[in-house]
Amino acid sequence: MGLYGWRLFWLVAAAIFGGYALASGATVFLGAVLPMVRAEAVLAATLLSFAIYTAAAIWVFAARDLKRAWLGLLLPAMALALAGWLLGGVL
Amino acid sequence: MNSGTAIAREEPAGAFRQIMAWLHTWGGLLAGWLLFAIFFTGSLGVFDDAITRWMKPEAPAVELRDWDRASLVRMGQSYLEETVPRSHFWSIGLPTKDIPVIRLFYEDEQEQFQSERLNPATGEPMPNDAERETEGGHHFVHMHYEFHAGTAGVWLVGVFTMAMLVALVSGVIIHKRIFKDFFSFRPGKGQRSWLDAHNAVSVLSLPFLFMIAYTGLATFYSLYMPAAIEVHYPEEGSFFAELLDQPRHRPETDVDAAVVPLDGLLLRAEAEMGRAASFVVVEHPGDSSAAARVFGVFDEAEARGKLLPGTSGRVEFDAVNGELWDVQVPGEIRGGAATATQAVMRTLHFAGFGGYTVRWLYFLLGMAGAAMMATGAILVMVKRRQKSLREFGIHTPRVYRLVEVLNVGSIAGLALSCIAMLWLNRLIPIGIEDRAAWEIRGFFLVWALTLLHAALRPAGRAWVEQLLVCAALCLTLPVLNALTTGSHVLVYWAQGDGPRLGVELTVIVFGLLCGLGAYGLLRRQRQARPLLNAARPPLLQRGAESEARG
Repeated sequence: MGLYGWRLFWLVAAAIFGGYALASGATVFLGAVLPMVRAEAVLAATLLSFAIYTAAAIWVFAARDLKRAWLGLLLPAMALALAGWLLGGVL
Repeated sequence: MNSGTAIAREEPAGAFRQIMAWLHTWGGLLAGWLLFAIFFTGSLGVFDDAITRWMKPEAPAVELRDWDRASLVRMGQSYLEETVPRSHFWSIGLPTKDIPVIRLFYEDEQEQFQSERLNPATGEPMPNDAERETEGGHHFVHMHYEFHAGTAGVWLVGVFTMAMLVALVSGVIIHKRIFKDFFSFRPGKGQRSWLDAHNAVSVLSLPFLFMIAYTGLATFYSLYMPAAIEVHYPEEGSFFAELLDQPRHRPETDVDAAVVPLDGLLLRAEAEMGRAASFVVVEHPGDSSAAARVFGVFDEAEARGKLLPGTSGRVEFDAVNGELWDVQVPGEIRGGAATATQAVMRTLHFAGFGGYTVRWLYFLLGMAGAAMMATGAILVMVKRRQKSLREFGIHTPRVYRLVEVLNVGSIAGLALSCIAMLWLNRLIPIGIEDRAAWEIRGFFLVWALTLLHAALRPAGRAWVEQLLVCAALCLTLPVLNALTTGSHVLVYWAQGDGPRLGVELTVIVFGLLCGLGAYGLLRRQRQARPLLNAARPPLLQRGAESEARG
């Protein structure tokens, strides 16, 4: 249950890369749906992304479960990015 | 796993706090070494103008006069047309109170950034021994945001800034009694005192630390987090054009076309803005896509006290046919709430909105941030010097030793190389090729030497020695300055030269602080040694022996 070796490596990797992916996905989504001019929405979402990234990194260590951490970051990241991409074309 | 990071399964809330403690300790330590440098040089960079002034002691070779700006721009343009007819950009800076020459910046055929200074009286390049060539205080600004490593450096700083946000949040989580901790300082108690010091500076500067880290990331938002821009826009240029309601960037066409006379554009722009111009920038000169921008003079008094000051004037032309594209009059603000938010964040980060009062406040809070990193990194080792936590199995003494070396080299060593930079500014001969670059190389060389020194000496000795050298360099800097330039504190005082006087007095105060630190350490080491030798646990002895062997 401790934090060392490969488990630690994959947790840190999840925080850094998974967290970045989630923040990116959220930014794409918010950039499409925030009720402002598109460029303004994109900027607002991008400014918010650093807070989302921070929260995601903290959450990874709180979860500590490797599989949950990776899935919990990557699935929403992909869903948000896809939804943002589709909505961005429509809205 | 050891007791420090083992997780008590039956107590989930405690487990969460423990994992946050682990994250704060190791994440903070790993990021702390570079973050110390980022905070320390950023705090110095707040006074970059004053430091630059100190680093250029020679009187300017030309007097500031009321030049005819159109003819100065003509001089700049003819020099650039001869030197780099086709380039990614040209920039012509008009003389200012502090720099009374024409400043040219451009990219040469090898896409290297170049600069040149022209005498406004003759239009001839100034010989580089007329004035001390130096990066000046801007060196510290460069260290602060990119370590002189370009885009890779900006990314590095961004990664560590994110790590800092995580360390700050985890630090707040593990502090149940944040205000009580703030009011307790128990000096002379080893580990307890370092923890108290760490808590006090952290809590005191916490809002500032969050603000400065977040606004730093926001400054480079499009580099760090390009996802939404990439997905919603065909290219970055069209995003910025829409955001700021500006003419779109035109890609190069590779069709040759001459740039119109820029003095004509300058006069038209000044008439449109109702203010004197300070800079003319041409994008893609020589290409049929060339665009020219004329910027108005920045008025410090006008920006004072404003977090959202707006533009200081900006006029854009087609640089091939002279067509006027866009005019932003001074004070104009474009874009909506998000643009304004980002602009305010940038103003907050750059500390330029409140004159010297705010600059001193930033300097002190930035140094408090640096102190937070330093006390945190030292605390990790003070705790483990008393009792090894054996986190790294048989490698534990070696890892601890590495942490000690990096602590000394990145804290005392960085401070030492910053003051060494001011020494190099006075010692490197004027007029040699690449002089400014040699100062910077010297800075990095000294920093590398401090790391080497820390690796060769026992940690306690290394701390004392580097702090003493740092103190000596600080306290004798005025002597060196007097010997090499004839100027010193009293001269600056008599001339009312606030910036240079401020630099030298601050250096003296810093020297005294380093000296006090070294003295305190030395005294404690003398007192502690007999005690330590009497009751030293076996593991520490092994660590100490390997330390002594170096």
